[in-house]
Amino acid sequence: MALSKDELKLAIIEKAKKSPKPQLYIKDFYECDPDSKPREVKNVANELVRDGELMFWSSGSTTMYARPDRIQDEEK
Amino acid sequence: MAKHETPLLDELEKGPWPSFVTDLKQQAATKPECWDILGQLELSYRDRITHWKHGGIVGVFGYGGGIVGRYSDVPKQFPGVEHFHTVRIAQPSGLYYSTENLRALMNLWEKYGSGVTNFHGSTGDMIFLGTRTENLEPLFWDLTHDLKQDLGGSGSNLRTPACCLGESRCEWACYDAQEVCNSLTQRYQDEIHRPAFPYKFKFKFSACPNDCVAAIARSDFAVIGTWKDNIRIDQAAVKKYIACDAEYPANGGAHKGKDWGKFDIEKEVVALCPTQCMWMEGGELKIDDTECTRCMHCINVMPRALRPGAQKGASICIGAKAPILDGAQFATLVIPFIEVNKENDFEDVVDVIEKVWDWWMEVGKNRERVGETMQRIGLPTFLKVMEVEALPQHVKEPRSNPYVFWAEEEVPGGWERDVVEFRKRHAA
Repeated sequence: MALSKDELKLAIIEKAKKSPKPQLYIKDFYECDPDSKPREVKNVANELVRDGELMFWSSGSTTMYARPDRIQDEEK
Repeated sequence: MAKHETPLLDELEKGPWPSFVTDLKQQAATKPECWDILGQLELSYRDRITHWKHGGIVGVFGYGGGIVGRYSDVPKQFPGVEHFHTVRIAQPSGLYYSTENLRALMNLWEKYGSGVTNFHGSTGDMIFLGTRTENLEPLFWDLTHDLKQDLGGSGSNLRTPACCLGESRCEWACYDAQEVCNSLTQRYQDEIHRPAFPYKFKFKFSACPNDCVAAIARSDFAVIGTWKDNIRIDQAAVKKYIACDAEYPANGGAHKGKDWGKFDIEKEVVALCPTQCMWMEGGELKIDDTECTRCMHCINVMPRALRPGAQKGASICIGAKAPILDGAQFATLVIPFIEVNKENDFEDVVDVIEKVWDWWMEVGKNRERVGETMQRIGLPTFLKVMEVEALPQHVKEPRSNPYVFWAEEEVPGGWERDVVEFRKRHAA
């Protein structure tokens, strides 16, 4: 059974905190709940960006997600 | 007065062609950071390595695309390009601008950026090259509030959809490319502005098979206008072309200005048909339309005599890309004919798009275009996902694998067998 939205949010945040690499692809979050559809996971991850829990990191060709406190800021 | 010596770049100003070096020197008169672009590029030519750092967390709030971060790795030497981010601005459908809009965009970019632009990127965006992080939000505010325009796509997003002029000017348009492009741009705002996919995904809409936006070669999802019935022939006009009537110039007069000799319908039209489905009979042009591949050559040469058929729609081809991993590939024809209907909000096209996305988002690897996923998994599986019957034209080459793996539903009776019945005929 798919996780509730709040449960999925917590699972994504946990994954972003504990993953060995700070930047994650959207597909990396799919395993947080294999029963959720990819587009549902994407919508929840984007909501977490709006909440300030995650942020986007872009190479230009690929966009990844990261915890703000774990990501390297090129400007610092 | 030059800020940096650039002997290697200066070589690029020689010759009859336009030079970006000359342009940048000219721009440096009002935007001194342009000297640092030249200085850093000269250094890269000497060192034979880029001095750009690629990527970062730059962007505008809530958007995961539209801004591409660029930083210099030698900022002390070239402070003007310490930050030099790219901003992608969504282009108007069919690239229709008013001069007023272009001036407003240029004023905006002079105010917040280097003034250096690239018209256009490969998805059609207007590319603004070079600004600092602190200018991004003010630029975005002015762009969206004053000019009512938006950022384009970048990253693993749906890229800015692109379309041809379509019905606004072109008599060959088989559907309203601008309408469907705009409609789907509005519908998929979330996919354009926030990462959704394993990698980039591009829509392109060409209203006829001339494919002026190169959809078949450059988009993951190409919607190309076509027709179901026969090419419409005006035999009286065909005769005018053959008679070299001045009112009926070949190719609509596009090649006039040089003497190409008398128009020869056999040589210039019939013999060049790639499927050889045309012939002259009793002074009339005949076409076996069942063999027509919509190459458009005959229609392009004799536009007053030949027109696309009346039952119009589009073909959908999926999976083209420019070379990144495996080399360039054309799209594969998946849906030969589909209605492109505004009355139902293009639901038929949307159904196909979302079927592709649902599959690709699940099975596509990171940084794999949908065409590469199709290639890796195999066209037969993809066609099953799309619920499309394979056509003989889908077969690229004779099989090299001698084994045939049947699916249970392809075998009469499935995998279930009556063993007792079987043993009556085949003793153990």
